[in-house]
Amino acid sequence: MTEFLQHLLNTLVLGGTYALLGIGLTLIFGIMNVVNFTHGALYTVGAYVMYLAVTALGLGFFAALPTAILGGLLLGAILDLALLRPLRGADMDTTMLVMIGAGIVLQSGTLWLFGGVAKSIPTPFPDAPLQLGGVSVSWLRLFVLSAALALIGLTYWLINRTRLGLAMRATFQDHDTAALMGVNVRLIYTATFAIGSSLAAAAGALLGPVYVVFPQMGGMAELKAFAIVILGGLGNVTGAAIGGFILALAEELGAGYISSGYRDAMGFLIIIAVLIFKPTGLFAKAERIG
Amino acid sequence: MNQHLPALALLAALVAVPLALGNEPYLLNALITTGIVTIAAMSLNLLLGFTGQLSLGHIAFFGIGAYVSALTSLGFDVEVFGGLRVVHEPWPPVVGFGLAVLATAACGYLVGRLSFRVRGAYFVIVTISFAEVVRLVALNWVELTQGPLALTGIPPFSLWLPGLGTTTLRTKLQNYYLVLVVGTLCYVLIARLVRSRFGRAMRGLKENESLALSVGINATRTLTLAAVISAAMAGAAGSLYAHYLRIIDPDVFLFSTTVTMVIMVVGGGKGTLLGPVVGGLIFGLLPVALRPVMVPEAQWMVFGLVLIVIQFVMPRGIVPGLVRFATRRRASAPASVPVEVRP
Amino acid sequence: MTRSLTILPALTLAFVLSAGVAYAQAIRIGVNEPLTGPFAASGTYVVNGARIAADEINAKGGVLGKKLELVVEDNKSNPTEAAAVAEKLITSDKTPVLMGAWGSSLTLAVMPKLADYETPMLVETSSSGKITTSGNPYVFRISPPSALEAEAFAPMVEKLGLKKVDFLAINNDWGRGAAADFGKMLKGKGVTVGLVETMDQGAQDMSAQLSKLKGSDADTLLITAAVDQLTLLFKQMAALGLKKRIITTGGSQNPDQIIAQAGTAAEGTMHLTTFLPWYPEKTPNPAATAYFIAEWKKRGFEFAGVTESFRGYDGIRTIAAAIEKGGGTDAASIRKGFWSVDLTGLNGPVRFAKAGPAGSESGQSKPDVYLVKIDGGKVVVPEL
Repeated sequence: MTEFLQHLLNTLVLGGTYALLGIGLTLIFGIMNVVNFTHGALYTVGAYVMYLAVTALGLGFFAALPTAILGGLLLGAILDLALLRPLRGADMDTTMLVMIGAGIVLQSGTLWLFGGVAKSIPTPFPDAPLQLGGVSVSWLRLFVLSAALALIGLTYWLINRTRLGLAMRATFQDHDTAALMGVNVRLIYTATFAIGSSLAAAAGALLGPVYVVFPQMGGMAELKAFAIVILGGLGNVTGAAIGGFILALAEELGAGYISSGYRDAMGFLIIIAVLIFKPTGLFAKAERIG
Repeated sequence: MNQHLPALALLAALVAVPLALGNEPYLLNALITTGIVTIAAMSLNLLLGFTGQLSLGHIAFFGIGAYVSALTSLGFDVEVFGGLRVVHEPWPPVVGFGLAVLATAACGYLVGRLSFRVRGAYFVIVTISFAEVVRLVALNWVELTQGPLALTGIPPFSLWLPGLGTTTLRTKLQNYYLVLVVGTLCYVLIARLVRSRFGRAMRGLKENESLALSVGINATRTLTLAAVISAAMAGAAGSLYAHYLRIIDPDVFLFSTTVTMVIMVVGGGKGTLLGPVVGGLIFGLLPVALRPVMVPEAQWMVFGLVLIVIQFVMPRGIVPGLVRFATRRRASAPASVPVEVRP
Repeated sequence: MTRSLTILPALTLAFVLSAGVAYAQAIRIGVNEPLTGPFAASGTYVVNGARIAADEINAKGGVLGKKLELVVEDNKSNPTEAAAVAEKLITSDKTPVLMGAWGSSLTLAVMPKLADYETPMLVETSSSGKITTSGNPYVFRISPPSALEAEAFAPMVEKLGLKKVDFLAINNDWGRGAAADFGKMLKGKGVTVGLVETMDQGAQDMSAQLSKLKGSDADTLLITAAVDQLTLLFKQMAALGLKKRIITTGGSQNPDQIIAQAGTAAEGTMHLTTFLPWYPEKTPNPAATAYFIAEWKKRGFEFAGVTESFRGYDGIRTIAAAIEKGGGTDAASIRKGFWSVDLTGLNGPVRFAKAGPAGSESGQSKPDVYLVKIDGGKVVVPEL
């Protein structure tokens, strides 16, 4: 029983960051109709900015986190202005290929700059875990969970309670009508891509200190984000949030009770199962695109 | 005949290359691996270029072909469900090649059926997931695949040739010509296919699906058949790869190889016959040329940039670009390569 | 159009040809190490150690009147890539001798190429038994195979009072080989072997395996993994409250890096290592150890790396000795020379004994093995 509770606790911590990754990707897809193949690279960049901010800049752990998120925001805005804005109206395959190219440039760029040796980010938290009965959780992971939940809350507030969010939702429903009603759609696109990117960077900055930071870390994160988004339904923010926790649960239980080697396979099995049995995702509200 | 001229000239040049080079193992090695990936790129072109399905899990077929062929020729002894043991004695690599083609054709059938159920972004993601699941199985089913330990000691091909008896293809030169022969066969097959009724159906679906359906084209059958042929060819390439390198590990399934193939196809010209071949030669040999002047990570940055730049300046690829250039100069001459016309 | 397209590959080839012409002056040594991927840290250390040896030898006038030149290539921690790199080093760079390839799976992948091109390779780190028992006469190994490591550990089993042992090993030739060899030795000593858990070489989150191991009644956990994964493991163990005696094998632990990165989570862990840089006076060749450590620090590398990099240093010195003894710079002479190498490395004498099937024996040297413990943030040799 304690082993099971321990798995549930691990699920919560992992699920929070997965949800961040998924929400970022699904926002971009839902509003811009772009499959963001730079999402993994942005996750990696977030982790490296965190590493640089803590070690080279000496900013301190808690100041480094917003720095990494800001880094993701900026890089996202640049990617949109340089690559996506000129391609607006091009077919989906073209945008996908360009984003794959950009992802490669970013990933090999990090490898070039930082080398292949994994870095570890020092944290101010004690090594001794918090004991809750038979289960234990490290203070760092508790912080990661709370920060992830706070960021998810912030994103919800942004989408549902602000003028920017209103414009984003209007663009999501019908970008032509939104444009006619005076919404600056181009600006909304840039903002959406930047926000989605910053969420990926935040996930990287949060998980970086838990594990280690290395240039290829984004590859698997990106594939997991795809799984989460398909699970929740493309473009569905709440679905992605729940999907993140479901994927974490599947992975944790799969690794604990089936085989640890297939931990990463869970996401893909979920994708394939969802697409065969319920192709619109578990929480379908948005229209299926295609 | 005129329209085949560029292809025939290229073939003649490729036949002559080793004669000009002499037996330089490193360069032959680069040409052989490039040739194998080019065959896979040609097969990807059938899906990506002619039917317009962006399959980003193509490496799965290549890898499955490699593993099926390698395991057939190495033999295995595994336990499946309920203590049932499956023991397989080694068979000749040529049989492995045949089984690789059949097995990947079957996988292609599944993906083809799936491509009718889900389209667009869903199809892209599901194909990537398929490749990733296969990779994780290869990594974790250690009893069968040796997992990360890699399958080693894979025997080279043995061929029975009239007048020569049975020859084991150990040298680079022999493998080079084997790859060239298989590549040429695949090329001819694709060329005949796209000019057939079936080829017109494929392009019809790509240009305007509802119109194609209204004139009685069976979309499921067409897409499935294209996927089956495409997968079988990628499987053949995978088998060549396994018996040439004589070692394979689960990294054969990495997404980056799919990306390389995609760059070859879209760079060379998707939906054209020669495009993947030209793209394959250029982007396959580019790393060899770049190796002395830049580190591998910088090479990959160049690849990424090339992929972006192509989409902006030459979205139809090199071959259509050159053809347009050539036809503009000889204004009256007809296009020498069939080019898909985009509205 | 067609003509210009076919000229392009030919041009590329000509370009590469000119780059691949072997120098006449220097003796080229191919170094095939993981510089990216999960083993990047260790491979980089080994290469830096190798450079120190090459520079030292060249400063003293080289070997047979010629300078040594290292041709370093990255095998990306991947077996197929390691084989391709070996092929490239031998055929394109014309290196008559190689050093590599760090990991056992990487080395095993390279070995058929050595036989194909009749080129000897010095194996500096790999510990799978298969490397020297599969009948490849081009392999000369200075690191201990896990059976030898287990044998060296055998006298300590009773002193430590081991009763029941679980294993957690990296899922490759190295980890699985170590779990098998140590398991066999422990069973022979009457120790019970419990769970044998594996983890993927790139795995980051081992909490599922650790949760399972936490529930077992074994008193000791034997771990085989490289330093990056060990650091993560110790942190995750602390987070799970897993408290057992930990002994790591394989000699790729860099205890100092573990102390720096895992902090108090690494307290009390024990490590089987093949080098004692913390106590140069206790090593078999104190003068060489002191020189190596001083040079390492002078070059600005982290001290933590010396437990890896000394193998690169010893490896190149061994190759230089083999070239000297063989009296020629071709592969056959160097291979012959390996059999008469006799030098005192940083972790014991380097002398190759025959191992593997008769007629095609590989060379195996027998280095010292030490057990160290992390105690109060320092590395100590525990009194047993």
